[in-house]
Amino acid sequence: MEFIAFAIAIAVAYHALKGYRQFRERTLLFLNISFSLLGAGLLIDSLSIAVVLLASFRREFLPLVGFGYTINFITQVVAYGILVFAYLKQTGNVGHEAALAVLPITFFEHNAVSELILLFLLVYIAAQTAMNYSMNKTTNSLLVLGAFTSLAVSHFFFLLFTLAPIFFPFAHIAQLFGFLLLLGMLLRVNQ
Amino acid sequence: MTEVLQGAATKSAKYRSQFRIYVDIMHVIQRENNQAKPTRILYGANLSHDRLVKYLEELKALGVIQESGTEDKTYGLTQKGIEFLNNFRKVESFAGAFGFRI
Repeated sequence: MEFIAFAIAIAVAYHALKGYRQFRERTLLFLNISFSLLGAGLLIDSLSIAVVLLASFRREFLPLVGFGYTINFITQVVAYGILVFAYLKQTGNVGHEAALAVLPITFFEHNAVSELILLFLLVYIAAQTAMNYSMNKTTNSLLVLGAFTSLAVSHFFFLLFTLAPIFFPFAHIAQLFGFLLLLGMLLRVNQ
Repeated sequence: MTEVLQGAATKSAKYRSQFRIYVDIMHVIQRENNQAKPTRILYGANLSHDRLVKYLEELKALGVIQESGTEDKTYGLTQKGIEFLNNFRKVESFAGAFGFRI
C-alpha cells in the first residue's frame, strides 16, 4: 500500500517540478519538496517493512520497522510543515505562525503526541483546501480536499492505533485512498 | 521564450505581474478565435493603450503572438504561443487544485 502511495507522491512531486521549471512559481517548488519528502519517507518505510518480511521476521531485522517509521514520520512532519508554510505565505500570514510549521520537526518519536502533530498539520491543510474548494468549486480542488481529509483521517486512525491495534489497517486504507484521490486529480489535470 | 517569461513570473507582487499580463493578453487572443483586435485585447486584459502597445510588441518579439493586417490589425497566437498557453493552463489547474495561485 505504501509503495503505491510512494509512486503517487513522486508523480505529484514531478508534476510540481515540471511546473516550477516552466513558470518559476515558488509555491510549486514547495509542493515539489513536500511531495518528494513524502515519497522518500513512504519508500523507506515500505522497503524496511519488505526487508523484515523477506527475512521472515528474524529478530536482528526487527529494528528496521522502527527505523522506517521514524524516517517516514520525520519526512511527513517536514513535508506537511512546508505545505502549511506555503499556505501561510500565500495568505501573507507568515509571522509567528510560521514557527508552528517548523516547531514539530523537533519531535522524532512515534507516540500519540507526534500523531497529534501530524493530525494538526493535516487538519490545517485540509481546512485550506476546503476554503479553496468553497471558492472554486472545481472537481480537482474537491479531489485535493478529499485527499488531505483522507490523510487526516488516516492519522486519526494511527492515533487510535496507539490505543487499539485494530485501527492499523483502517489507517493504511485511508492513507492509500488519499493518495489515490491525488492520482485522480493528476490524471484529470493531464487530460 | 519560457526563460524570458520566467523573469516576469518571479516578480510577484500585489499588483498584476508582467507575466500575468502576458497570459491575460494571450487568453483574450485565444478567446477571440485567434483573431483579436487591439480594442478587444485592451478591454479583455484591462490595459491602457500605451501599455497594450508595449506588451504586444514584447509578445511579438518573444514569438508567441503574430500580427496580421495593415490598417485593421488583428493578433493571433503562434504555435509556440498555443503550446505555452496550454502548458500554463495545466500548471494553473494543478496549482489551483491545491489552492495556490500562479
